[in-house]
Amino acid sequence: MVLTDPVGITGNGYKRRRVLGGAAGATLAMTAVAGCGLFDDDDDKDRKTPDPLQPVLDEALTLAAAYDRAALAQPALSARLTPLGADHRAHAAALAKLIGEPLPSAAPAASSGAPTAGATLAVLRKSEQQAQKTAAAACRQTSAARAALVGSIAACRATHAEALR
Amino acid sequence: MLRVNEQLAAALAAEEAAIYAYGPIGVHLTRAVDRTEARAAEAAHRNRRDTLVSELAQLKASAGPAPAAYQLPFAITDRATALKLAIQVEDGVAQAWRVVLPVTQDADRSAALSALTDAAVRATRWRRLAEVSPVTMAFPGQP
Repeated sequence: MVLTDPVGITGNGYKRRRVLGGAAGATLAMTAVAGCGLFDDDDDKDRKTPDPLQPVLDEALTLAAAYDRAALAQPALSARLTPLGADHRAHAAALAKLIGEPLPSAAPAASSGAPTAGATLAVLRKSEQQAQKTAAAACRQTSAARAALVGSIAACRATHAEALR
Repeated sequence: MLRVNEQLAAALAAEEAAIYAYGPIGVHLTRAVDRTEARAAEAAHRNRRDTLVSELAQLKASAGPAPAAYQLPFAITDRATALKLAIQVEDGVAQAWRVVLPVTQDADRSAALSALTDAAVRATRWRRLAEVSPVTMAFPGQP
C-alpha cells in the first residue's frame, strides 16, 4: 500500500529510517548477547557436537592417505590408484566446505612395508566398501540440502570398490 | 509431493531411454564379456522401470506420455561407439536418480541411492571395458 503512494514514503522517510535504526540497534544488541553464548560454547571444545558428516570427511582423508601410501609402495599401481585418491580429496574438500571447517593438513604418509599388489588392492577394496556403507547411512539421515552430495560420495566409493577388482 | 512426482517421472524417462539404448548397443557388441554386461544392465533398467511405474501409479501421478521415438545422441556403428553410448546412458541414469535424493526420505531415499550407485558402478565397468581412464568420477550423477 505504501509503495503505491510515493508522497507517503517521502513524508515518512526520516521517521522510517529512525525506526529502522532503532530496530537495527536492538538486533545488534541481541546478536552481542547471542554471540557471547556462542563464544562460551566454542571455548568448551568438549561440548561441541561434531557434524554428523564428520565421519564421512574423516574417512575421505584416511582413504586419500591410504592411496598415497599404496602408490608409493607399489609404483606399478600408481596410475590406477592416483585418480581414486584424488576423488577422495575432492570429497574431503566438498565436505569441509559444507561443514564449515577448514581441512586439516594431511598427516604424513607412513610407509607400511611393501605388501604384494594383490594384497594392497584387497585391503583398499575392503576399506572402500566400509566407507561406502558409512556414506550411504549418512545420506539416508542427512538433510535434503546435503543428500545429493553425500549420495554422490557413497556412489563414488562403490565405483572405487569396483575399480579395484 | 509434486517435486517427488516430477523427479520420479524424470528417473522413469531415463530408465526408458536406457532400455531403448541397450538395443542398438547390444547389436554392436560381440565379445562375451561385453554382451553379458549389456544384458545384465538392460535387465536392471527394466526392473527399475517396473518399480517406478508401480510407484508412480500409487502416487496417482502421470508418468507423462512416452516419447514417440527415442533418438540416439550419435550413430552406433561399432564396439567403440556402443561402449561410448553405454557410458553416457549410465551417467544419464545416475544424474536422474541423484536429484531424487533431496526430495525423498528414509527407505525411498535409500532406494534412489541404490539406483544412483548401481548406474555409477555400471558406468565404471563400461569405462574399464572401453579402456577409458580414469574409470571413476568424483561425484557420480552431478551434471
